[in-house]
Parts: sequence; structure tokens; C-alpha cells
Amino acid sequence: MILTVTLNPTLDKFYWVDELPLSLDKPEEAVLIRSDRSLTSAGGKGINVSTFLSCHGVETVALGFLAGHTGQIILQDLLSRGITANFVWMPGENRTNVTVIVRGREYHPLLIHEEGPPVSEEAMGIFLRKYERMLRRAEYVVLGGSLAPGCSPDCYRTLVQHAHRAGVRVIVHAGGDALMRTIGEGPFLVKPDVREDLQLGALPVSTPGEIVRAGQWMVAQGVEASLISHHVTGDVLATRDGVWELEARVPLATFKNLVGADDALVGGLLSALIRGEELVEAARYGMAAALATAEVEEKLCLDAGAIRRELGHVTIRRRSEG
Amino acid sequence: MKVREFMRCDLTSVELDTTVSHVIYLLHQSGLASLPVVDEDGRVMGVISERDLIRAVLPGYVDMLQSVAFLPSLDQLSRRLHEIGPRPVAEFMMEDVVAARPDDNDLHVADLMIRKGLKQIPVLDDQKRLVGVVRRIDLLHRLRR
Repeated sequence: MILTVTLNPTLDKFYWVDELPLSLDKPEEAVLIRSDRSLTSAGGKGINVSTFLSCHGVETVALGFLAGHTGQIILQDLLSRGITANFVWMPGENRTNVTVIVRGREYHPLLIHEEGPPVSEEAMGIFLRKYERMLRRAEYVVLGGSLAPGCSPDCYRTLVQHAHRAGVRVIVHAGGDALMRTIGEGPFLVKPDVREDLQLGALPVSTPGEIVRAGQWMVAQGVEASLISHHVTGDVLATRDGVWELEARVPLATFKNLVGADDALVGGLLSALIRGEELVEAARYGMAAALATAEVEEKLCLDAGAIRRELGHVTIRRRSEG
Repeated sequence: MKVREFMRCDLTSVELDTTVSHVIYLLHQSGLASLPVVDEDGRVMGVISERDLIRAVLPGYVDMLQSVAFLPSLDQLSRRLHEIGPRPVAEFMMEDVVAARPDDNDLHVADLMIRKGLKQIPVLDDQKRLVGVVRRIDLLHRLRR
């Protein structure tokens, strides 16, 4: 079973529009933007990974915090998709993240992200007991997304320590300081989120060369593998055995919604590992899942046939040393 | 139809030392009518329902008379709720757990719920660990299709 942790779940709301005003600054009148299509779904990185896995027949349990009316909607969405949910209820209201996608410019959506409700010490205590209990049933745990307000910056590090004591492999699918603090604990795989900041600690990750160096540095610090994306069409996998560059020759114009691509990458990789694939091949399948996801309007591509078709577009090259 | 096909995979539960106050909060937040009570290994050791809590705060004779109409007000119940609020749920839960298994069929579960007058029952695996719940409405919803 794969356990996913989403400390700051969200209700993802997508709107498709034909155009946005050239500027939203100081409009003389209120700006009305009509949308002819919208989608709503439970989200947050861990939840998205669970959604992907569950729809691909992999047993998964989603853990985290729910609050208020939005929390009810998130839970209903998960249960209606057949995902096993084990959340801590707390006061407040879960966040809603809005994505506005302009047709023809899908590669650059407008994102509005709320902060989310604060997690109290009491709620965190209840969560940790649940987490420890569920670890006994788990093979992998995915720590996904940003920390909720109120969580200690060391939160993910603590969760990695608990998982390792239980003999469970950890994938850290997050960014910033929360991820950096886990590296010394030697998680199985890190998938850094570098959307906001093309930086991993002191290391820049703008170019393929910088990404390779950052990946190698994380492996040297103790992680078993690092997987870093540059755009959707390139990934760099670094392990103690070497560095592999994965590339997809797909025109950016084919992309319709990029929001869930990273989560499909992690979900695809995990589902392949569970099937018994080696890590490099699993990363290839993950990249195919990310591509297939980017090519549909829904947040995640749940069609295994479409993912298999994308496999043919993904090439892997082992990078020579130096 | 098997229970696994229509159960809710909601593992919301409380632990033996969870306070009654928190149980009331959780029942209110989750919209569930009862909550499984689990031990450190995740095994279901009991179930706490709205009915168990009401029974815990009402004078014993009310249960016998099946009415609260003769109580002067609900102040007494409110005081009693505040008294038992910090106490562990283990003191008030039903230890005789009526549960289903994922491979039970729908008729068996419907029969259990009707005979025992339950709104909801937990679904347990072979090791008595919680894997889901079935509510009366889940059965009705399924039968309507």
C-alpha cells in the first residue's frame, strides 16, 4: 500500500477562458471574465498522487488535514473516486486554488493559491498517531506539497524519520526548506518542486547542467535518487549509479493543463515500481504519465492506454561522467 | 454485490483515549453517525455513536421511559456533557462491535443493520483493522441504481 500525506489539501478549481485582459492592474471598471468550462477536484500533491494510483489499481491511503465545508467537498470527491481517506478534522476551512487557463496559451496559466488553515499542535499530535499506525501497512509514503501554516519547518524531516523507523521508503514531492531539511535523512527519492524558485538551497536549477549538479549533490548528501524536471519535456534522474536524462519530443502546443503533470510523474513512477520495474524504467513511465496528463484538460490522465502511447515519445540517455 | 463494491473507504476513527469532547466535534465535522474506536495497531476495539453519548448523559430512567418530555430543560444534559467531556471514549463505547467484511454480500449487511437498528457499520479486514464503513444511505443509494 502507498500512503500519501497532504498537509495542506486544496479544492482545485480550473476555469478555461478565451482571453484575459491585457492588464489586470488598475482597471477603470470591474473586470468580468466569462468561462465556458470549469472543473473542480480534490487536490494537493499527495492527494493527486493517490488519485492517480487508485485509478490505476494501486492500493493507496490519503492522509492529511481537512477543515470546514471545503474539507467536506474534498472528502466527498476522494470517496467518490474510491480513494481510501484517513484525515484529521480541524477547525477552519481548507484552501481553494484557482487556475485560469487561456486557450492557446495553456503553457502559462494564471494561478491563485490560498494559504490554507493553520494546523494546531493538538491536530498534529492526532495526525502523527494516525501516520504511525498507517505506516505499518505501507510500502512507500509520499510526502506531497507545501506545509500548512502552523507546521514546523522540520515536519517532513520528522515524518521521514518515522517512516524509516517503520522500514518504509519515502518520496519527498515538495519544495523549499521543507524538502531541504529531509535530505540528510536519506529519503528514497526526492522530486523537488521548483516552480516558484529555480533554486535548491544554494544551488540554481535553471539549466540541465545545473539540474544535474543539484541532483548529484542531493545524492551525495544521502538521498537514494533525485528526479528534477525542467519544463514538462525534460527530467533528470540522479542516483549513486549515475545520471539519466529523460526527454520527450512533444510540441508545447499539445499541452492543455500542466497542473497535475508533476503529480502524475510521481504516481506513474510509483505504479511502475510497484509492478516491479527498475527505477530508470519507472521514471520513464512516470514521464509518460506526466506527458499524457499535460495533454488532457482534466488535472490527471487516468487512461493507462494514453500513457502507454506516450512511452514511445520518451527517450533516456545515460549521461557520461564529467 | 460485495461490501467492498459500495463501502465508503473513509477511515475516520478515534483512539481509546480520545476525549468525549473531541468525539462530539468529530461526529459533527465528519457528518458520520458513529466512529470506530481503534487501538495502537489500528484494530477496531469498539464503536462510539451519537446514541451512546446521549445515553451517557441522560438519567437512566429516561432510557426506560423512551422520552425526555418530562425533563424541565436540557441544562442538566449540558452539565453532564461538560462533566464527561474530558473523559476517554473507551468508557462509553460499545465494545460488542457489529461489523462487516469486504467480501460479505449486501443482503447480509442490510440484515445486520435492520436487526441491530444501526445507521452505519464498520468494515474490517481479517486482522480486525478498519478498511471502510457502510451507511444505510450507501445501501439505499446502491439499491436505487
